[in-house]
Amino acid sequence: MNAKNIFKLCVIGSLGMATLGLTLMVSALPAAAHGERSQEPFLRMRTAQWYDTRWNPQKTNVNDEAMLSGKIHISEDWPRAVVKPNRTFINVGSPSSVFTRLSSKVNGTPMMTSGPMEIGGDYEYVIKLRGRLPGHHHIHPMLAVNGAGPIAGPGGWMDIVGNYKDFTNPVKLLVGGTIDTETAGLTAGLFWHVVWGTLGFLWIAWFSIRPMFLIRARVLAQEGGDALLNDPVDRVVAFGMLGVTFTLIAIGFFYTDSQYPYTIPLQAGEPKIKSTHLKSDLTVKVLAADYDVPGRALRMTLQVTNSGEQPLSIGEFTTAGIRFLNKVGVANNMDPTYPPEIMATDGLHIEDESPINPGETREVKLDSRDSLWEIQRLMDLVHDPDQRFGGLIMAWDEAGNRHINSIAGNIIPVFTRATAG
Amino acid sequence: MALFRTAEIIKASKLPPEGVRLSRMIDAVYFLPIAYLGVFATFHMHFDLLAGDWDFWIDWKDRQFWVTVTPIVEVMYPGAIMYYFWTFYRQPFGATLSITGLLVGKWITIVFAWYWWANFPANFVMPASMVSSALILDATLLLTRSWMLTAIFGVWAFAMMFNPTQYAIFGYSHQPVVIDGQLMSLADYMGFTFVRTGTPEYIRIIEVGSLRTFGGHTVWISAFFSAFVSMLVFTIWWQIGHFVGQSFFWVKGKRGVMSRMNDTMIVGTDEFAQRHGTPDGIAPGARVAARTAATTIS
Ligand SMILES: [Cu+2]
Repeated sequence: MNAKNIFKLCVIGSLGMATLGLTLMVSALPAAAHGERSQEPFLRMRTAQWYDTRWNPQKTNVNDEAMLSGKIHISEDWPRAVVKPNRTFINVGSPSSVFTRLSSKVNGTPMMTSGPMEIGGDYEYVIKLRGRLPGHHHIHPMLAVNGAGPIAGPGGWMDIVGNYKDFTNPVKLLVGGTIDTETAGLTAGLFWHVVWGTLGFLWIAWFSIRPMFLIRARVLAQEGGDALLNDPVDRVVAFGMLGVTFTLIAIGFFYTDSQYPYTIPLQAGEPKIKSTHLKSDLTVKVLAADYDVPGRALRMTLQVTNSGEQPLSIGEFTTAGIRFLNKVGVANNMDPTYPPEIMATDGLHIEDESPINPGETREVKLDSRDSLWEIQRLMDLVHDPDQRFGGLIMAWDEAGNRHINSIAGNIIPVFTRATAG
Repeated sequence: MALFRTAEIIKASKLPPEGVRLSRMIDAVYFLPIAYLGVFATFHMHFDLLAGDWDFWIDWKDRQFWVTVTPIVEVMYPGAIMYYFWTFYRQPFGATLSITGLLVGKWITIVFAWYWWANFPANFVMPASMVSSALILDATLLLTRSWMLTAIFGVWAFAMMFNPTQYAIFGYSHQPVVIDGQLMSLADYMGFTFVRTGTPEYIRIIEVGSLRTFGGHTVWISAFFSAFVSMLVFTIWWQIGHFVGQSFFWVKGKRGVMSRMNDTMIVGTDEFAQRHGTPDGIAPGARVAARTAATTIS
């Protein structure tokens, strides 16, 4: 552990202590606040609904490639309090640039700049990364919405091993040759900063090797003092400095221009990405939902109609990047690398577990019960300005085909255990 | 034949040799820790609040906003500081002092905050250097000895020389690259490849606006516009320098009337005593005589 890390830990530690102290003042709950949990539940449940997130591989060498991928559904029930996703950017939430981003594709289209997203649309993103800074990093996909801020997706741990000194990030230039983004233009930039800085300090030094203030002020106060302070040698130096400055500017400009004959301005266009839509043979309507505060459970009564040809079983409810599964979900959609801290493999209970048959309409009582509701701070729903919840319901047929429905509805809190049933 | 007029100036100041030595000590203490550090700390904060992001990131350095905003913001402090050093000392280094000071602050930030703490390479967060423009501005004031001619010619050159100076530093970043079949400048790609969690792409305020007449010569149109606004801003800040740099004091004259004295250098001179008397009401010559007499008696 070197001095830099110790210093960083000290600063982070003291910030953490300050945060903890402040939190204890307002709440008795321990402050395990990591960015994503501090966002309000209604915002996390009803904006971007994240699913199929993958951090691959979980261990990367410096310079090796890794992938962050997954899908988002833009909730139909986008809250009124949040600016609509007219200009969005799929970002990576990481502690500084621990990876560099090599490419980012959304529904197959490169998303290098920001663009609009459609409410109710579905987007699959694939972000190619390159390991840069060794360490154990918590990485989130993020949907940044202009005017609303970043909406963090689920976070997973990714390790980068090796040595930062070996890191390079070469890019092919259109006119031929490659350039490393880590060092491109660094020499020229430092050179000109040193040149101009030196000239600037020389100019100041020229006047500071002589009496600077008190004496000159006294002379200036006298008759003829102004003329006396107008030293001819300073005028010569000023003319010289003007000449040197203009000459250097011209040399720098024309030399650079000849070095890079083909240049383009910054590109500020926007990608127009076509959305896809969720496919499901089920129609799901939220009849009622309540929220058992002490029991840490969300209970929903859904009216589910199967208009397909196969019997379907509900296996997963996912919201705010947190997954609640039952046996069906585990059998069909269990990714062993998914962070266990944001997944409850026995967190979904259905009163009648038999599959919903083709043509059948059934009232389904769904209960997603787990301490994750509290750990992930989704309990705070009751303090939100908008008492609605949302999420994705996933169901599977015998062959393992998935059917996804985005749901949203009103939610009523239940405060005491006595009324919980 | 001496290089400088220093000897003549010292003589004209009528300070005794120990006063001259003391004045050099005041120069050192006042100039470095007070004037220089004060300017660099406050100007750095002022600049980062008004034009920070354009200066921080390579993918914000566009032809419209960066070129317009930077000179306008960077001419503010020089205006006030130049007023102060010129009016009271006829020292023509106010702009260079402000802008080298700003850059000292910038580089401390780059090394410790950007590189050491946040792990961004220096090329990605390279600041612009307006020292060239500052030298032009200072030299213009020295040669014209007029704030108005400085505002017209010096500030005009200050803003117009911004882009050609920066081109030597940032020209490389406009080389085209193709990523996933899409044309970008290297600067755009660097903005994309270095992940900034809290600064998504749409935060950039670049290349929007209507300064697009005269075909593709956007950068010169922006520079002209910037130069005109900079002239106005320079004048305003020169006046701010005038306002906060006033030095006067109130004296109670022989008849008991308070009057404002702008000539601060007159204090302690015989002329002052003759006009206003001395605190104990005795003329300077008489006071010395009285003190000598008192010493003798005791
Ligand atoms: Cu995290």
